[in-house]
Amino acid sequence: MTPTRSSQVLVAEDLARRGQLPAAVAACYEALAVNDRDAFVHALLGHLMLEGDFYDEAIAASTQAIELDPDCSPAYLALGLAYDRRGGMWDQSVLVWHELAEVVPDLVTAHVQLGEAFAAAAFEEEAVDSWKRALELDPKEARAHYNLAIAALKREGMSTALPTIRRAGELDPSQDELFFSLLGLPAERLEFDVAKVKPEAEARLFAAGMLLRAEDFFGASDLVRLVLDENPADAGALALAAYAYLKQEAANEAMACALRALTYSAELPTALYTLGVVYSRFPGLAKHAARVFIALAKAAPQHSLTHVLLAESLLGLQRYGQAKQAYRAAVRLDPACVRARFGLAAVRLTEGGYAEAQWEMRRAAYYDTRRQGNFWRLYDAYAEGGDV
Amino acid sequence: MTSEEASHLYEAFVAQDPAKAIQVVERVRSSGVPQSQLFDTLYVPAMSLLGGAWAEGLIDEIVFTQASVVAEQIGSFVMPPVARPDTGVTVVIGTIHRDRHSVMKDVVASALKEAGFRVNDLGVDVRAADFLERLEETGSRIVIVFAEILATARAVSGVRDLLTAENREDVVLLVAGGPFAADPGLARAVGANGVIASAESALKVLGRVRDDILAGGAS
Repeated sequence: MTPTRSSQVLVAEDLARRGQLPAAVAACYEALAVNDRDAFVHALLGHLMLEGDFYDEAIAASTQAIELDPDCSPAYLALGLAYDRRGGMWDQSVLVWHELAEVVPDLVTAHVQLGEAFAAAAFEEEAVDSWKRALELDPKEARAHYNLAIAALKREGMSTALPTIRRAGELDPSQDELFFSLLGLPAERLEFDVAKVKPEAEARLFAAGMLLRAEDFFGASDLVRLVLDENPADAGALALAAYAYLKQEAANEAMACALRALTYSAELPTALYTLGVVYSRFPGLAKHAARVFIALAKAAPQHSLTHVLLAESLLGLQRYGQAKQAYRAAVRLDPACVRARFGLAAVRLTEGGYAEAQWEMRRAAYYDTRRQGNFWRLYDAYAEGGDV
Repeated sequence: MTSEEASHLYEAFVAQDPAKAIQVVERVRSSGVPQSQLFDTLYVPAMSLLGGAWAEGLIDEIVFTQASVVAEQIGSFVMPPVARPDTGVTVVIGTIHRDRHSVMKDVVASALKEAGFRVNDLGVDVRAADFLERLEETGSRIVIVFAEILATARAVSGVRDLLTAENREDVVLLVAGGPFAADPGLARAVGANGVIASAESALKVLGRVRDDILAGGAS
């Protein structure tokens, strides 16, 4: 049977969806005054308390929702996250995530969080199994990759962990976005007609960048070729070509184009980025990658990921102290950068700083789960009474 | 000379002739360019020429791709060596008796191995006598003892006592772990020669030990 929502709940829900948290909380309490046995209201209140970082209140409200309806999946999510963010409640956390993973088996976050709860409770093997399960559901799930890298670091050291960290980074869409940001593309995706692109290098390269972002490699290559036919020394065009080759796993072509671009413009960020990424794929070129990423971090210091890339190359050279500085610079620029947080955790582990490493990973989870917005997905599915 | 050879290497790429490309590499190597510099002095300029030729339309897409395949084939001939040279120095490591903490030990062991040290890892819960026995077996003169609990950290003095009793005062005893990081006096109290604070500090300290104490001799 589909659960029904009262009009008071709908008001609270609307306010919550619009981000008006205090008003939404007030509306929840009004709804509770009418009916204090409504699982929807308690689940919503749990979520709102979690959003406000009131963890004990979130735990109380979510627990109440589950007591009223043991199938209330959004309440399990809020409860698990509240346990994890509060800290020190790993045994309860394991139970909640385990339950949610059973109720909503395709919810990747549940498996990632279950793994982190297992790891915090020192069940390392179970943790690894959970992260692997998460990757079976979503091979691009970054936090599962990073957690596996940290687990590898604990067992076998940095040389084993680093390839996993890099692989996770390359799967992370934010790394591609760094390239497009270096290229100067706007954040939003624009629709345009390729046939109407002005016959000027700047317009063609802009359009080629937009096509590359849409993974239209052939369309982008055609435009780049037009620019190069007019000026073979156009560094920007060569850098775009390098990136297009890189995305098609043609590392040597990418290297050739990026190197050529840098002969014309030695500090061109897009060429430095592509060359650095190519170099970092070869273990023997760790020093070269670090040199290139140092230049990139200097050329584009406002981007947190340039510092992350530099830090990862320094890890490959066993310069953990310098890597820590670079990661810190990244976190200062973007506290929600999951990749930088896990990198810092890895460096902290090389210093024996277990608590600090754990803290960084918890911050990564905090920002990552806030960004995901899974609550509303589960809530809406629960409201419809169907599967997620 | 080298820029000329880079042109030859580029020509070999375009001609899809790996044998000729290898000949160029070998010629440059035999002229005295070390392996660690072949990539920068030969391969990078050749690849840049290749990119330039494609940009100028001197070679088409298919030739560019085929030339890149040849470039990839000879990549291993010009790559700087991955593994750091064997230092010849053996280090015995382990976590002290009644302590089962292994993370820091494993991280440090991996960093040292990567840096070319010969690491002999005894694991966790290791008795003082086992450290001594392994030092004798391997001929090593460096031991790193890990302890993460105050009580077990204090027990590291037992390792120093045993070394003294067996006239092995030549052994460098290094300690690592939270209690030693928190109380710098503790390391001296247990008779340690130094403290390893992190994987990077392990590399620095071991580098100094290798250079200053063990220079020229077997470890």
